Amino acid sequence: MPKVLIVDDEPFIRLLLEQTLEELEDEGVELITADNGETALEIIRSETPEIVFLDVMMPKMNGFDVCKTVKNDLGISEVFIVLLTAKGQEFDKQKGIDVGADIYMTKPFNPDEVLAKTREILGMPK
Amino acid sequence: MVLLSLAKLIKKKEFAPILNRLVGSLDTPIIIEDDEGRLLLATDGSERHNKFPVNSSDTIIGWVYGNEKVAPIAALLSYHAAAETEKRNLTSETLNKYKEITLLYDMVEQVSSCLDTREIARLVIEQAIKVIRLSRVDVLLLNKEVGIMELVASYGNDNEVSMTVKKGVGIAGSVWASGRAEIVNDVGADPRFVSDTIKISSLMCAPLKSKDAVVGIIRLGSEELVNYTAEDLKLFNTLASLAAVAMENASLYEQLKEAFYTTVYTLAETIEKRDPYTGNHTKRVMEYSLAIGKTLGLQEEDMARLQLSAVLHDIGKIGVKDSVLLKESALNDEEFAEIKKHAIYGEEIISGIARLKTAIPGVRQHHEKFNGRGYPDGISGEDIDITARIIAVADSYDAMTTDRPYRKGLTIDEAFEELRKFSSTQFDPEVVDAFFASDVVEAYFTANSRGKIIL
Repeated sequence: MPKVLIVDDEPFIRLLLEQTLEELEDEGVELITADNGETALEIIRSETPEIVFLDVMMPKMNGFDVCKTVKNDLGISEVFIVLLTAKGQEFDKQKGIDVGADIYMTKPFNPDEVLAKTREILGMPK
Repeated sequence: MVLLSLAKLIKKKEFAPILNRLVGSLDTPIIIEDDEGRLLLATDGSERHNKFPVNSSDTIIGWVYGNEKVAPIAALLSYHAAAETEKRNLTSETLNKYKEITLLYDMVEQVSSCLDTREIARLVIEQAIKVIRLSRVDVLLLNKEVGIMELVASYGNDNEVSMTVKKGVGIAGSVWASGRAEIVNDVGADPRFVSDTIKISSLMCAPLKSKDAVVGIIRLGSEELVNYTAEDLKLFNTLASLAAVAMENASLYEQLKEAFYTTVYTLAETIEKRDPYTGNHTKRVMEYSLAIGKTLGLQEEDMARLQLSAVLHDIGKIGVKDSVLLKESALNDEEFAEIKKHAIYGEEIISGIARLKTAIPGVRQHHEKFNGRGYPDGISGEDIDITARIIAVADSYDAMTTDRPYRKGLTIDEAFEELRKFSSTQFDPEVVDAFFASDVVEAYFTANSRGKIIL
């Protein structure tokens, strides 16, 4: 069963992403959420999700650090990581590449695009 | 509205343990089923004595079976469902807003870098299709000369009807007159409706405003009856104002471009006025040059600077004394040296204008020869800029074929023969060949039929 992990310290963003991807649940995808970087790391280790939506700006362990740990230190390179950044907030794209993120996405996101992209990565038909 | 499934509701991570403890402490048999009779929870020895409905916004989404003691469970589930439904509705409302915001961002990005009115109209249509339920969109712009709105872009207009709108006539015409956007959900019942070849049942129409004047209209509609809301209109209006700002920009850019080219041409005309025998020479050199450039397949950018330098190639002659410039007999060495300076004067004159920087090589080098025996620098071959090599051919051909007071011009064939003779020495052979392959006669007539230069 494919798993999608949603990591954001803002409950509202988690809710919005969950509802955006909800229809995938009916097709057997498990949605998991985490509200901080450390929990996210634990879940990635134990559950090895296919996709992680990862907020960059989080207290304590931020998205860059989580991404770097997963891709470099843990060596789980097959996890597709989508960095979430806020529109208007300065985002260091080079740093995103350096830590091994696959793509980045700005909030507010377009729900249709998020769903389509997720289906594409999971290899699910539209 | 999203309808909730009871199965999902009771499986929620935070809720499931609470329900289980509650059911355990009830100490009475209980069955929970969804509205399609699927068993979701059952305890030992359960029997279907009574049933209590679980509601979500007036719809029954499941049943709780058992004795009277299980009734509060049904009430709790209904309450939970109501709260969950409300949360979902709010979330989907926000997601819809997200969708609109991202589309508007996209649109601002695309439209603000666009300087072409038709392209802007096309972009607006594309975005409107994404956010508003519709089967047809028309963008009309004011033709100031005739005072009516004309169609510039449309979607779903299969007959390609070239429609126009008059001020005050029809719904669009009345939006034009009032300057305010409108929703007409039942078009047939609106007395202003002018019947059209395509059936539209509901429509929204918004003005494109530049400052306070209406310069265009966007109209969208649906064949099926749609209930357009104030929210739809607000979004539509935002699209329309974005488009209007972008179109205003595009039109200012057009005006600026026109003013620039008019100035350039006026500058070129000053030299024609000093030497009236060359009448229309500038226009013909420009047309011949462009014809050659087209045959050679020059890029748009090179074509633009070719045009500018062709128009301005002789501008330096303004610095040459009348006694030399207008002399009808042969020039002595000193006088010829004076004439030669016009290539350098030309560069000096136009170098003060930043936008003419790319035209400098064409102006300075148009008397250079392919074999290096020209002036002012004596450069050769491909060291001579392509625009200058082209202007050299166009300029010589026109000089040869034009009548002068002291001599009759050559025929086209004779002039071609001359060009052929000096190909590779004076002229770039590829340019000469391109000239022969171009429609020279057409270029001649285009130049002479032009009143003003339209660039």
